[in-house]
Amino acid sequence: MERIKRLLKEAGISDYIIYGYTERTAELFFVKRQLDTRRLKDVEKFNVTVFRTAEKDGTKLRAFTGAMVLAADSDAEIVKALKDAYFAAQFAMNPYYELPDPVTAPTVEAHGRLAEQAPEQSAGEMADALFKADCDKDAFLNSAEVFAIQKRVHVVSSRGTDVSWTEAEIKGEYVVQAKEPEDVELYRDFCFTELETEALTTQAKEALMFVRDRAHAQRILKSGNYDLLLTGENVMMTLWFYGDRAEASMIYPGYSAWKVGDDVQGETVGERINITLRALAPYSKEGIPMRDRKLLENGVLKCVHGSNRLCRYLGAEPTGDYRKFSCDNPGTMTFQDMQKRPCLWAVTFSGFEMDPFSGHFGGEIRLAYLIEDGRMTPVTGGSVNGILLDAQKDLTFSTDRYTEIGYDGPYAILLKNVAVAGTDA
Amino acid sequence: MFERLDAVKPALQKLIAALRERFAYASVLATDERYRMWRVSKNGISITSEGDGGYGFVIRVFDETGCAEYSINAFSEELIPAIVKEMQARLEAERAALPEGVTPLPTAIPDDSPAVLKKEAQFEIDPAALGDEAILERIARIREKGMQAEHVLDVSCNVTYCAERKLFLSEHRDLDETHMWTTAGVGAFGARGEELKNSYKGYSLLGGAELLSEVEHDVGDVTATLGDLLRSEPMIPGEYDCVCNPEVTGMIVHEAFGHGVEMDMFVKDRAQARQFMGEYVASPLVTMHDGSAVDECATWAFDDEGTLTGDTVIIDKGVLRRGMCDALSAARLGVTPTGNGRRESYERKAYTRMTNTYFEGGGATMEEMIASIPYGFLLEEPTSGMEDPKNWGIQCMVNIAREIRDGKLTGRVFSPIVLTGYVPDLLKSVSMMGGKIELAGGGYCGKGYKEWVKVSDGGACMKARIRLG
Repeated sequence: MERIKRLLKEAGISDYIIYGYTERTAELFFVKRQLDTRRLKDVEKFNVTVFRTAEKDGTKLRAFTGAMVLAADSDAEIVKALKDAYFAAQFAMNPYYELPDPVTAPTVEAHGRLAEQAPEQSAGEMADALFKADCDKDAFLNSAEVFAIQKRVHVVSSRGTDVSWTEAEIKGEYVVQAKEPEDVELYRDFCFTELETEALTTQAKEALMFVRDRAHAQRILKSGNYDLLLTGENVMMTLWFYGDRAEASMIYPGYSAWKVGDDVQGETVGERINITLRALAPYSKEGIPMRDRKLLENGVLKCVHGSNRLCRYLGAEPTGDYRKFSCDNPGTMTFQDMQKRPCLWAVTFSGFEMDPFSGHFGGEIRLAYLIEDGRMTPVTGGSVNGILLDAQKDLTFSTDRYTEIGYDGPYAILLKNVAVAGTDA
Repeated sequence: MFERLDAVKPALQKLIAALRERFAYASVLATDERYRMWRVSKNGISITSEGDGGYGFVIRVFDETGCAEYSINAFSEELIPAIVKEMQARLEAERAALPEGVTPLPTAIPDDSPAVLKKEAQFEIDPAALGDEAILERIARIREKGMQAEHVLDVSCNVTYCAERKLFLSEHRDLDETHMWTTAGVGAFGARGEELKNSYKGYSLLGGAELLSEVEHDVGDVTATLGDLLRSEPMIPGEYDCVCNPEVTGMIVHEAFGHGVEMDMFVKDRAQARQFMGEYVASPLVTMHDGSAVDECATWAFDDEGTLTGDTVIIDKGVLRRGMCDALSAARLGVTPTGNGRRESYERKAYTRMTNTYFEGGGATMEEMIASIPYGFLLEEPTSGMEDPKNWGIQCMVNIAREIRDGKLTGRVFSPIVLTGYVPDLLKSVSMMGGKIELAGGGYCGKGYKEWVKVSDGGACMKARIRLG
């Protein structure tokens, strides 16, 4: 880092942010319980953003461009990359803004076994947790990938920011399969910041139960409008709509007209939404201190969030980019009670989509339960094509909770009168 | 270009020799990259230089547990002993931590018969030489032209180019290629109340900034389509006669069928296609290719495992002939690899991946197709898709369905549209195939939800029966 600072000075560049990191991973790839491939990674990189100012017709302007620098590069190579980036910046001028306010602090160390033990050990333990769920013959683990990641990050800026922290993540994906009466599969992914072996075993057991049901699912879904029950990560993806729409990158260009204080949920007959943005890292890539922030309170927008430049343009406090939120609604109905009413519980999709521009959500159904007269029938095929801007008027959250790396909140959400194309279409 | 790979090549050969003393096989893929994206929109002007790849190395060896890899981005001759020591120690730690009962997936060591190749990138105008100022001026002009339409909230215009060099070295192979692709895109945004609609057109080329002249002509079409979208209606679910424009054909080729014939899925028993070899899976009008027989963004002479590429005929006049395959899957299945072992970057695993995937053309025109339909839709602007190799389900999203009634476009527009159904049903329903093939390489392809690689896909316009929702 000191070397890059010296070379920036040598290149005549006075305004910059350096985001440097080392990443060490251990990765395992399985086909059933056989080892397909194993991998290791050790890399170190520095993303250097250089800033340039200018004045045109009495207006102050600022531009930025980036350069990727490696520790293995020679001084001459680094200086050339920095000078090239600085030269290019003169052609990309935008309205002026201040760089993030300076902050210095001691290194924030992640703790726990995932952060402290060798990633090779963590990858093996999580693979073992997956295999623990895989005990039956009618539904089984088809294949899996496990990635244990340790990262050390250091952000330094010309305004005096000097912060560093460590991160650890264990993530991966797996496919479960059932062969009778129909040969089917389901995909699941996971990501934890602790070595959550039990949580992974539980999640895999649930996936095995769902794939068993998918093998028996019928193509009998009729087209029409249904009360739709979404669960787990589909709830998270649906509610991210509010985070996306409140981002400075959506508001500044006018793609979203939301302003702090707006009732973005509009008139409702169901629950009012409460969302908090959650900090996963102590600082953003620009060195902005990250903290939890209330996003929606009873359906009213409480903050705009995003990168330094666009937040400053909007006159908002720069917040950094968030990867996690919580839905703070305690819920008004147990998930068990939700399953007693007539509805379509869409469990998994080929690929669930939530379009932050149009508000449309949905996808092709891989497994759903059609709940009628207290009976649950597994169904497959057909597609959901909903509009959240309409559906948000009447929402019910479950009292049951669900947590994953990007979300903490109700496990289920009930949306009324959503369009579904059935297999009769 | 990328001289620093020349500088380390002799040392990489020494690394392979050192590894061969300990392992039954050793190879190195070395990469370097020059990437730049220029973008103008209401969010401002930006120049980005950080791509997904960059300068780095992936070392592959075979030991008693099979294939193992080590990705690094610092290398020199002096570091060889330390790299070998660290790799061995970490592989041993990883092996020791494997869950009880895990065994290696039996894999023969891939073919390492001698091959030498050197190929340079082909382009007319190097974007780096054209320069930031000229490129930004041109895309700013395109944006200004688009912004003149009244219903437009914003127009974004971007150009990206990537020059890459890959060097694959093993005991018997020395493969060296540089490659350049350029892509561009124009997006127009407009609001209908709280709902934001957007229309997008992408461009791609195996080459350089010569692509820009094509973009300048079309911005008016994008803003006109946005106008159509702003008065669009929700789709009425049903199965309809549809005309797919070449982009939509490309998405069906890629998402609906292409992923299903990636043969690493055969190894995992995750692809239904394995049971259909030699059978009719499509109309006799359908012949499908993947590979380097065409010049597009994914045209490479060798893949990321050092296998030479070629033209793979996957469906021949409706009959499924073979899949595409990476080297490890080929070794496991006992077939010849097709040069489809690709990585997101040196930091990632190689999987079987598509390259340029397309349907051959036929003899019909789009006008003839539209004229043949009593009631149906012309589908345009694919936005996303998701594969389902196991069950051959289709999930493809398109932005626009233009209504056809009595052989004519009525002007009514429906949006957004979800295509669903069973892949062979759709492909067997193809009743007309257009003559002019177009490939689009503007996007990236994921394996599941990650591992993004540059691909192109396409074909001609085609008529088929499709379930829309």
